[in-house]
Amino acid sequence: MKAIVKYRAVYLMMLPIIAYFLIFAYYPLVRGFVISFQQFRLIGDRPFVGLDNYAQVLKDSAFWDTFANTLIIGGSILAIGFIMPIALALLLNEVFASWFKKIVQMVVYLPHLFSWVVVGGMWIMMLSPDTGIVNQLLLALGAEKPIGFMSQEAYARPVMVFTAVWKEVGFTCILYLAAIVSINPSLYEAARIDGANRWHLVRYVTLPQLVSTMKVVLMLHVMSVLKMFDQIFVMRNGAIAGKVDVIMMYTYQKGILEFQIGMATAAGFLVILATLIITFVIRILIRYDEE
Amino acid sequence: MRKKRKAIYAILAATLLGSMIAGCAGGKSEGTQGTEGTADNGGGEKTEARTLKIMAGVIGGKTPEENGLFEKEIERLTGITVKLEKPASDYDKKLLAAVSSGEKFDLLQISKEKMNTFIEQGILTPLTDKVKGSETLSDPNVIPSEEWAQVETKDGEIYGVFTKYQGGTMPIVRNDWLKKLGLPEPKTLDDYYTVLKAFVEQDPDGNGKKDTYGLSTAGMYELQGFFSAAGLKQRYVEKDGKLDVPYSTDAAIPIYEWLAKLYKEGILDPNFATNDTGKMRDLFLTDRVGMITYWDAWVGMLNNTRKEQDPNTEFEAKGLPGAVGPDGNHMLRRGDPDVWVIPVNAENPETAFEFIEWWHSKDGIILGSLGIKDHDYTEQNGKYELTQTGKEHAMDHGVPFWYNKNVEPPFGKLPGVQEAQDLLAKYASLELTPPRWADAEKIINEYSFKAIMGQMPAADAVKKCGKS
Repeated sequence: MKAIVKYRAVYLMMLPIIAYFLIFAYYPLVRGFVISFQQFRLIGDRPFVGLDNYAQVLKDSAFWDTFANTLIIGGSILAIGFIMPIALALLLNEVFASWFKKIVQMVVYLPHLFSWVVVGGMWIMMLSPDTGIVNQLLLALGAEKPIGFMSQEAYARPVMVFTAVWKEVGFTCILYLAAIVSINPSLYEAARIDGANRWHLVRYVTLPQLVSTMKVVLMLHVMSVLKMFDQIFVMRNGAIAGKVDVIMMYTYQKGILEFQIGMATAAGFLVILATLIITFVIRILIRYDEE
Repeated sequence: MRKKRKAIYAILAATLLGSMIAGCAGGKSEGTQGTEGTADNGGGEKTEARTLKIMAGVIGGKTPEENGLFEKEIERLTGITVKLEKPASDYDKKLLAAVSSGEKFDLLQISKEKMNTFIEQGILTPLTDKVKGSETLSDPNVIPSEEWAQVETKDGEIYGVFTKYQGGTMPIVRNDWLKKLGLPEPKTLDDYYTVLKAFVEQDPDGNGKKDTYGLSTAGMYELQGFFSAAGLKQRYVEKDGKLDVPYSTDAAIPIYEWLAKLYKEGILDPNFATNDTGKMRDLFLTDRVGMITYWDAWVGMLNNTRKEQDPNTEFEAKGLPGAVGPDGNHMLRRGDPDVWVIPVNAENPETAFEFIEWWHSKDGIILGSLGIKDHDYTEQNGKYELTQTGKEHAMDHGVPFWYNKNVEPPFGKLPGVQEAQDLLAKYASLELTPPRWADAEKIINEYSFKAIMGQMPAADAVKKCGKS
């Protein structure tokens, strides 16, 4: 209490931020939580129905289908999206021509700046069976017929994973490059004196020094994996919906298209719960709190 | 350290609990408000203010500035002061947020599908008696009597009144290509195959390249004109009180096989699964495809677009009645109508109904179509002239077409539209769309695409689809 009085000016300055979070984050969150227990009507009374909405969601096979899709697509993005930026950062770190390094960095970073509307539209066009560049190349290389990447179930999930990784690889790579720059050069020098070659330097100096960055990147990705929506909304179509519709598409369908707000909020809170569980499990697995 | 952590948790828990109580309290008060609103309306004797608060998706000005002019124009023509909210995008989301947060509207413009949801929630004022007692709305010249069946509930109640004439969809063909290749208008599914194949193989655009497709669609958006060959209606049909999905029955197998043949032979646009309607229209306008399936109004707009690019163009889009069925009939699809509804908590429901009646008068129709006087058009001695702004707004401020036969379109209809509308009047009917259609649609789409793209024999796809 004494501290509050002593630093009251600082606490006062914090008030707008606390108010912001209370009004725009926690209040809607709590309202949503309440709604998830109600039979929602746009106007008039909204009777409480206990866990009915949750039961309805959990009994809905469409929810479990989208949940499975989310885990498969999200898990793949998490795994491949974790390895690729590290590999890219390590490769770029080995490049001596700085102009080339800067150009590559810029080119791989660019997709991160565009919204999914742009990136998704671009990939749909590039993967088109008749005029898309990917199929043109495949045909030039001797493929028998064009592939409907965006309309065949077998390719649907890999395409989503690939494009998601492609879009974010540059951004995450820059985080690793920044971490690599801050590694103490004397560690490399000591290793070289001990007879380490370039591979040894990467394996025994660079990678261990990147572990804390890896943990942060992994945690950030884990927390957002179940929230995936924009990409799927832009890139899905009726032919592949069954394989790529994720859990947030389910809440969108229930809430906005069908106005079943009770079910939509219940599904939303199940996502939050699942995110919490997954995050805690990953924290324990990677020993996030340990140095 | 542990004590400090505990203190932080305690503060967080208290904050959450406080907000939760606030949340519960808020919900209760809203509920009460809603009930009070209904009770007030039931009073009947209350004198209403001549003001309206309206939320609409497509009715109004094209920009916020023009929306202001639109409100003033309504006031000039009716004496009713109007506050019109017309979100620029995401209408359903904004409607949902505004209404559920307790904002009171006197009138809402929604689709029939949303109206059904709202009726289910009991939040709309029944208008049956008012409609039947209205001199304007009960006049079959203003709204044809048989049209009311579209918005009536099973127990004969009316909760919504049409905002405009809603057309329907149909196959639209490049009639100039048909003439050029000396082909007759297709009638049966076999005729359609012959025509579509000719569009691919006989170089209808005359550029010397084999770069045209016969048919393009936007996914499974609209194939009624082909499934009609087996006498199958899109979405649901009700038979002996049971709902059935005709597209998932054995009768649909030959149509899937026919479509699969088109896909395999390169007659159907290979991008049909990923196309949106914009891409499909572009293909049609750029001589890449000879037939699409789309709205009647677009027959005119497609013709007009090409005419504006080149006044001497031979381009001619024409609506077709689709493939003839086993009983010799055609089967097209009417779109779900848009309606005006009055929520139960409307503060001025009588004024709102007066507005609905006015909306179907000549003044209302001219505002909804041409737009605002001296802004979108000028009028002298009953003769209308569009301004540049009016031309840009293409005579559509929410009412491109209307029912009222007493009001003639001041500039006639765009080429091909009347013929397309005549086909709809003759052959089209509404679809039955009960709640949870979105779930069923997903399953039907999944297996339909597999059948059409040859990933699964049509018979297996239909069997699995029916099972799902």
